[in-house]
Amino acid sequence: MKIAFTTTGTDWNASIDPRFGRTEYILIYDEEKDEITNFDNRDIADVAHGAGPKTAQLIFDLKPQVLITGNGPGGNAAAVLTKTDLKIYIGAGNMTVKEAYEAYKTGILKQS
Amino acid sequence: MKEIVIISGKGGTGKTSITASFAMLAGSDAIIADCDVDAADMHLLLKPDWFMQDDFYSGVAAEIDPEKCIKCGKCEQVCRFEAINHETGQYEVSNLNCEGCGYCGHICPAGAISMVEQNVGKWYVSDIKTGAKMVHAGLKIGADNSGKLVAKVKREAKAIATLENKPYIIVDGSPGIGCPVVSSLSGADFVVFVTEPTVSGIHDLERVYQLVEKFRIPSGCIINKADLNEQVSAEIKLFLTNNGIQHLADLPYDESFTKAMTNGQTIVEYPDSPITGVLTICWTDLKLILEKQ
Repeated sequence: MKIAFTTTGTDWNASIDPRFGRTEYILIYDEEKDEITNFDNRDIADVAHGAGPKTAQLIFDLKPQVLITGNGPGGNAAAVLTKTDLKIYIGAGNMTVKEAYEAYKTGILKQS
Repeated sequence: MKEIVIISGKGGTGKTSITASFAMLAGSDAIIADCDVDAADMHLLLKPDWFMQDDFYSGVAAEIDPEKCIKCGKCEQVCRFEAINHETGQYEVSNLNCEGCGYCGHICPAGAISMVEQNVGKWYVSDIKTGAKMVHAGLKIGADNSGKLVAKVKREAKAIATLENKPYIIVDGSPGIGCPVVSSLSGADFVVFVTEPTVSGIHDLERVYQLVEKFRIPSGCIINKADLNEQVSAEIKLFLTNNGIQHLADLPYDESFTKAMTNGQTIVEYPDSPITGVLTICWTDLKLILEKQ
């Protein structure tokens, strides 16, 4: 399973970025390979308008099965993501990546 | 740290006056972020000292290099925004009309057009009369607020709140339901709707609620001037109940509201106003709601 997180940093101890479209990084944890990869999203975070759909496009290309974030994508981004099989979990806004992963595993996070 | 965002959907409901009152009641506990950047006016009530300022760049506009321009006129033909003219003999771009789409640059055979990032205004960090800091911004004439600018103001406010270990961030949210509002809501712990008992008040409340609902942010509502139309106030309360929005307070119509605004003060600086008591209780309730979350 590939799990994507919206984050403000690049490792397990980084904070979850509560924003979807303007998240600083997308961190992907591949459970099978036990491997973390990062995607710098700061160029998208810096556009004046339309950050949500652009980040949704990135998620679409990275093909994770699960997304863990803070508030969840806004309307335009959500419209893109409903075309995928992605499961979105929200409510991790004040957690680190590690805490958010554990919260997801123990079923604490709500599915959007 | 908890982030409270105050929005209204409709203008003129008293959102900023109420936000500034909460800022006064919170005192040094809350960092304030004015994300209503199109018509920023928190500074009129909270008396910032404009301590730090910096330029803000957002969006692009076309620029034609007259040295390279071969005056073929193709750019003017394709521009959908009538932003290019050659009245002076040179092809020129009007920044007020240019939407930054880049079509002209794409078709220019001489490579004379480049897209240049625009300085649209300034953002500030100020000490304000509540004893805390406020992050705010001002746009140049004709410049638009954007999700980017709101994100910037909120990010700076959060950084200060973290650094100074403040329990609250109070955000004066952007109007409408577009990109800046989405950006205002992002990362919020609680949303306060400010509405009024008018047809457009309830209509715009319903619209902006749809947005908040998507983000699953818990919310509450203050009905301002609630006694002016009790029938619509009752309709609003029914809407709140049906959608699980907490009814935080009814504010009576009172001229102290306007008087405070005219004097550049917040309502809660008028101890005799009937609104002061209601807002004081409302702020205490809000803090309790946030503690329980």
